[in-house]
Amino acid sequence: MKDDAFETLLRDALRADVKASQGCLADLEERVASELGDRRPRLRWFQWLAQLLAPTRSGRIGQIAVVGATAAIFLFLGVTLSDNVPRMGEGTQLSLQPVQSADGTQEVLFVLPALDAEDVAVVGSFNAWEGTDLSDPDGDGIWTASIPLSPGRYEYAFIIDGRWWGQDPLADEYIQSFGEYSSVRYIGRGGDGA
Amino acid sequence: MYRVQDEVSLLRASLQGDTAAWGEMITRYKDAVFGLCLGFMRNRADAEDICHDAFIRAYMNLRRYDLERRFSTWLFTIAANLCRNQLRYRRNHPSTEEPLQIRGGRDPAKLLDAEERQNRVREALDKLPYSYRAPLVLRFYNELPYQEISDILAIPEGTVKTRIHRGKAMLKEYYEEGA
Repeated sequence: MKDDAFETLLRDALRADVKASQGCLADLEERVASELGDRRPRLRWFQWLAQLLAPTRSGRIGQIAVVGATAAIFLFLGVTLSDNVPRMGEGTQLSLQPVQSADGTQEVLFVLPALDAEDVAVVGSFNAWEGTDLSDPDGDGIWTASIPLSPGRYEYAFIIDGRWWGQDPLADEYIQSFGEYSSVRYIGRGGDGA
Repeated sequence: MYRVQDEVSLLRASLQGDTAAWGEMITRYKDAVFGLCLGFMRNRADAEDICHDAFIRAYMNLRRYDLERRFSTWLFTIAANLCRNQLRYRRNHPSTEEPLQIRGGRDPAKLLDAEERQNRVREALDKLPYSYRAPLVLRFYNELPYQEISDILAIPEGTVKTRIHRGKAMLKEYYEEGA
């Protein structure tokens, strides 16, 4: 079969599958609207903060609450992270600082606190943006993966339950493309910042 | 009411909590999103759930959408990521539903019949690994350019071209085997 004819056949088969399933799409709009109810699109954190910190008559208590809650979150994350960072001499190879082998390859730890996440992966230039799963075996919400990287500059982002998270607090810098942030790490002598 | 309005107006109305405007966006894109999910998953129940979930997530995260980007690319990226998550989950929790199956039995007399040939393509698609199937679906069902497929699947454009080329060859081979 010629290429063009095969492509047409593939296209027709895929379209026919959707056509045959039209029944389940008939009331999709109503089902989505019913699930959404009165919910509104989520504010991004800076929009949420700006709204709460906006001057209002009764805004003072709200502002204090926001500042207090933010401090508590950072304190909690800091304590949790420090509890989970392996210490020297505890028999583990993982470290926030890369461990270098003889050929220059380093075991680089990717770590991300994501308390309610079910699935966390890291995608980047080192894995052809294909995704390497992070794991959280003790269920404390701190997800980690150790990836051997040779010296160089690497762009990456986390995928948390299917959502892009491009600003790793441990990154050397951030870049923005397609409206999304990605993180950058420099490893070893091949990287400018190492 | 919204038929004559452009997409940006619908999105702005949706941002204000207008679910009717979001309903119009769903009407415009539901076939494309469902077809993507069905092609990726090869399972109707999963595709239906993911399609529904994709529109909920897109609405809730609408403020993350950058108007400089094509809306379809952003929406398809959400759906594709949900499919990938579900496939990871399926690896450990196999589905009880049969994969998309041929309607009716094999009749040698009808071997050249269009439906029979489509059924053989479906069987071939079921066998094709996800990493090759996904770009093929985006290319031949959603009719997207290579660059957009690259953005959605977060793989380089060159890899997209290679996978489409090799995926088509593998698919054709499975198709011929089924003859």
